[in-house]
Amino acid sequence: MSGKISSQTGLLEMWDNLRAVPRRIVDSAFRSGKPNTDRTRSTFIFGNLFLHLHSVRVHRWSLRWTTTFGLGIVCGAAFLITLVTGILLMFYYKPYPDVAYESIKDIHFIVPTGRFIRNIHRWAANIMVVAVILHMARTFYTAAYRKPREFNWLIGMGLLVITLALSFTGYLLPWDQLAYWAITIGANIAQSPREVTDALGITERFDPGEWMRLMLLGSDVVGPVALIRFYLMHVMILPLALTALMGVHFWRIRKDGGLTRPVNADQKLSPPGGDTYPVFSEAPARTYQIAAIVKGRTSQVGNGPENTVPSMPHLFYAELGLLMLTAFLCLAFSVVWDAPLKEIANPAVPENPAKAPWYYLGLQEMVSFSAFMGGFGIPAIVLIGLGLIPFVEREESGTGEWFGGPGGWPLARNSALFGLSAAIVVEAVAIRFGWIREWFPDAPQLLITFVNPGTVLTLVYASYSVWLIRRFQSTRAGAVGLFTCFLCGFVVLTIIGAYFRGPNWVFYWSPAEWPGH
Amino acid sequence: MTTVSKPARSRLDPEPIPRRDMLGLAALWAAGSALVLAVLGMARLPKAAVVSSPSKRFTVMLPDSLQPGQAFLPSGRSVAVFRDQEGTWAVSTICTHLGCIVRSTPAGFECPCHGSSFAPDGTVVRGPAPRALSWLKVSAAGEKLVIDEGTVVPPGTKVQV
Amino acid sequence: MNKNKYLLLGSSLGVLALLIVAAAQEGFREWRVIQRATQSDEGPLGVRLRQVVSPGLGTSDRCVSCHVGMDPNEQGVRGGRLMIQHADVVHDTSEFGCTICHSGQGLATEKLDAHGEVRFWPEPMIPLQFSQAGCGTCHASLGMPGLEAFRQARGAFERLDCLACHRVDGRGGTMRPDGFGMEGPDLSRAALSGYDPDWYSKHLLEWEKAESGSWKAAFAPIGEQDLRLISTYLSTRIGAAKLAEAKVHFLSNGCLGCHRVSGFGGDEGPDLTRAGEKDPGQVSFAQVQGKHTLANWFSEHFRSPASLVADSLMPAVDVSDEEIELLTMYTLSLRRRELPGTYVSKERMRVEKLEEREFASDGQTVFSAVCAGCHGKKGEGKQAPGRQVFPAIANPDFLALASDEFILETITQGRPGRKMPSWGTKEAGLKKYEISRAAEYLRKMGGVEFRTDPKTRRWLSGNSAEGKRLFASACSTCHGAEGEGKEGPALNNKALLAIATDTYLVETISGGRRRTLMEGFLTPSMARPTLSPAEIEDVVAYIRSWEGVEK
Repeated sequence: MSGKISSQTGLLEMWDNLRAVPRRIVDSAFRSGKPNTDRTRSTFIFGNLFLHLHSVRVHRWSLRWTTTFGLGIVCGAAFLITLVTGILLMFYYKPYPDVAYESIKDIHFIVPTGRFIRNIHRWAANIMVVAVILHMARTFYTAAYRKPREFNWLIGMGLLVITLALSFTGYLLPWDQLAYWAITIGANIAQSPREVTDALGITERFDPGEWMRLMLLGSDVVGPVALIRFYLMHVMILPLALTALMGVHFWRIRKDGGLTRPVNADQKLSPPGGDTYPVFSEAPARTYQIAAIVKGRTSQVGNGPENTVPSMPHLFYAELGLLMLTAFLCLAFSVVWDAPLKEIANPAVPENPAKAPWYYLGLQEMVSFSAFMGGFGIPAIVLIGLGLIPFVEREESGTGEWFGGPGGWPLARNSALFGLSAAIVVEAVAIRFGWIREWFPDAPQLLITFVNPGTVLTLVYASYSVWLIRRFQSTRAGAVGLFTCFLCGFVVLTIIGAYFRGPNWVFYWSPAEWPGH
Repeated sequence: MTTVSKPARSRLDPEPIPRRDMLGLAALWAAGSALVLAVLGMARLPKAAVVSSPSKRFTVMLPDSLQPGQAFLPSGRSVAVFRDQEGTWAVSTICTHLGCIVRSTPAGFECPCHGSSFAPDGTVVRGPAPRALSWLKVSAAGEKLVIDEGTVVPPGTKVQV
Repeated sequence: MNKNKYLLLGSSLGVLALLIVAAAQEGFREWRVIQRATQSDEGPLGVRLRQVVSPGLGTSDRCVSCHVGMDPNEQGVRGGRLMIQHADVVHDTSEFGCTICHSGQGLATEKLDAHGEVRFWPEPMIPLQFSQAGCGTCHASLGMPGLEAFRQARGAFERLDCLACHRVDGRGGTMRPDGFGMEGPDLSRAALSGYDPDWYSKHLLEWEKAESGSWKAAFAPIGEQDLRLISTYLSTRIGAAKLAEAKVHFLSNGCLGCHRVSGFGGDEGPDLTRAGEKDPGQVSFAQVQGKHTLANWFSEHFRSPASLVADSLMPAVDVSDEEIELLTMYTLSLRRRELPGTYVSKERMRVEKLEEREFASDGQTVFSAVCAGCHGKKGEGKQAPGRQVFPAIANPDFLALASDEFILETITQGRPGRKMPSWGTKEAGLKKYEISRAAEYLRKMGGVEFRTDPKTRRWLSGNSAEGKRLFASACSTCHGAEGEGKEGPALNNKALLAIATDTYLVETISGGRRRTLMEGFLTPSMARPTLSPAEIEDVVAYIRSWEGVEK
């Protein structure tokens, strides 16, 4: 009798439980309930694996559009888009010479949505490169690399290098003429330390150039082995490295105290507006020490919570908005312009001119004078210089402000003018009058390697920077000058490489003047 | 919106935000539907629009020495061709169970994978195969036979060539 | 804070709109629109991508996504020009696909891309009027005659009434032996499919057996000469009559004298073995009128080579528009494709592995295919502006003085330092019997026998110093101060001096060459000095003095 009753109760209970399953799944996933109080909003963030890289509250300064222009988020969003589209492309891509080209044709012509997805992948990659460079410039000009964020600046440089490497490795995969010859040139740049070892006559014993080329291509030609290596790097090694470093980069932002803001940020901000939630315009009844869950009264009772707002939802609107904006840009470009695909790779017929992706054209321009200095020496100098900035420049004024520090915007503007004109003058001389080889055909190779427009420009910029340090008695001023000059030099060289170089890397005012065949 | 005179509420109290935040809701819905549409579009990609298999039709020339009841197996195709006084016919050698290629034996066909056996006309004699082996369309083109692996005909259809 | 919500709302709506645009782009692809508008016997056509896959040839041709009527798996498709079915051809389209013959971009599904009329696709479709050029992708044709030989052979085939029983390219074959039964075999592809070498004796046997009927009416014994002509004619039946005619014309303009094709020919111009595959993206269309197709480029190039290719040495091909079109077709047919073994044609194998000739080896064909380019179709000589003359080798005055040995030796050894290559010894040159047949033909064409010379090769004893003075006044204007050649041919050529006998030189100076600038110096003239026989011998002695000089 009792057994019967209990069995009935058991069944009823099970029935009730069964009905409660959907609700309980949701409850167990989102334990804190609806994020509509400060406390639940906080739990919503730190209770979620993907969100807890954010701090639970974000300073209103960080949410101003002019603070960052959202460039960091755009980088991340572009990467997310390339990741998703890239995985989709892997359904059809076959990493083997010739077959690879056909599979791209398949993606273009018969794979449902394939053409669009490939276009998006291509454009998102381009947007990512642009955004990464601009993001770095933003960080520099707002002096956001300063203590305690020095290390995150270094991580950011790692991310820059990986981004460029991702772009470069992806370039070979379509196996068309563009890809083949760009990679051939890239591989030979890797080999360019030979220029120095040859000149010193020690290549027989010490040949780092050949070693790097072999590591890159796995063979002495751009062939199947090279393609599979590039593929592996493009879809596995580099994305993993990028994801890991990105994680560290984001985490460090939080651990370094959020985005940089000027010391007087609170005064600069207008008082909380009426359109915010009540919580911001009221003095809090309780305040927050570590996070919102800590109850108790402190000396801050009665004061606003430091001009911060909960990340949920304010920060997330911004982040989601930037993600969608990035997606919008990628899609808009993709609807209008197809990703390029030239003839199938033909090792017998070089492209002329064989141009690398646009962001390497500045390098290619320097490489046209000396492979080693252009492809290795100067990039290395630039990277080391960039890495040293936060450790050499230890000033404090102007942190978190655009063009902060001595000199301010006029300094940056004048440096830009100087950088642009110096680059144009040096290039103009080289284009109009030639360089050492043309004047002294017997000049030793070492001289040509170390004295060329790239190195001259580097020296000019460096001297200018030294002069600025003395003039302003400020390392920051020198850094601003140098950074601006290099950025301008990069722009000038890239534009010359992209628009004014024709067959045989000869200068032309426009492609219409290129000699016919 | 609110004034200081209003009594301070606890931050742990729920606030009726969503009802008033039409803009936020619209934005979230727009983003959500854009993402859903994008995912739906992307989900179309993995299914190939056209399979890259060669034509299912092929031509064969039967040897004159082919005896009634003896199977002729064109190379590279999963078909057995027979000829007797009534005509010519072709039976698919793909097992209807799980797609292994059956062996032709004097007693019919045997599947090496899970032991199904078929009579010479393709009907199941033993084992897990759910259906008889398919008969395929045969037509004549001059002296040669055209066999279409893509077209199944009723068992017993024999063609006079 | 609402700024971010507006940002999110705006960009999300933008993304939505773009997604819809992209979906519409996808939904209105050309092939979809075409297939939606198409009916088949069983109602509307299923809208899906279609393709013909040929694993052996490595092609996937999606042409049938628009040209649905050509899909070997579709029957009864109705609608317009686009849906017509493929003509009945030897090759099964379901096995061979489309692009192997027609070229173009089979992987593409949009018209411009598929027809290859886009940048970055080096193999556009062969224009329809030249479509037989596609046969050249895999096939060669052996022993083809030049134009004269072809006309004779075709004449013989028609004169002997072979068309009464045999069908050739859609003509003839109406009369059946014995009134009923099978007509004679179709000979349109006789050169490729091969035919019984004993056909004549078998025909003869039938003729002897027959009492009446077509064997008696349409056949009669024929001579040796006609038999040769018929076999020549059959060697031109490659299943593509226009291509065969095109090749005949190619072999009549002496193109092979300067260009190589499949491992035979001269080295003055580029190797043409794969000329039909030229990438239209790599040539300049600045001087070409009409559509920028390779075909138009070739026709313009034949008319005026130097205006299309800077520094081209090639003389303009002075022929009718129809012939230019034929030459264009043949040039377009010069293509190759990496093929798996089973697809390699027998003829191509015989050309490449066994070095069989793609042209007939009779003297006439060899002369017109190889020599006519420089020496003229009638051996009348040529002169391109600003260059030395190409000698008029059929000139009777020359042939009377040049022994057969002289001609053979000249063809075999060539003239080092001049354009004439050593056809007998060079790589990709002529075989011995081809040279002798060409020489025979040359003498026949000139119609002059060698005037036998009773003297020894070197009998002369003139005064070289005196000759030098005379040469400077009488000869150097045309032949150059050192005999290096100007309007007149070079005389200091060691190969020439080694082969030429004294008589040859003396007689040439004395009598001149009719119809050339060279006049006889014995004949008195107002315009230039006259030389006595002794003076001529002095000049020859001077010319001989160059024999040892390295030039």
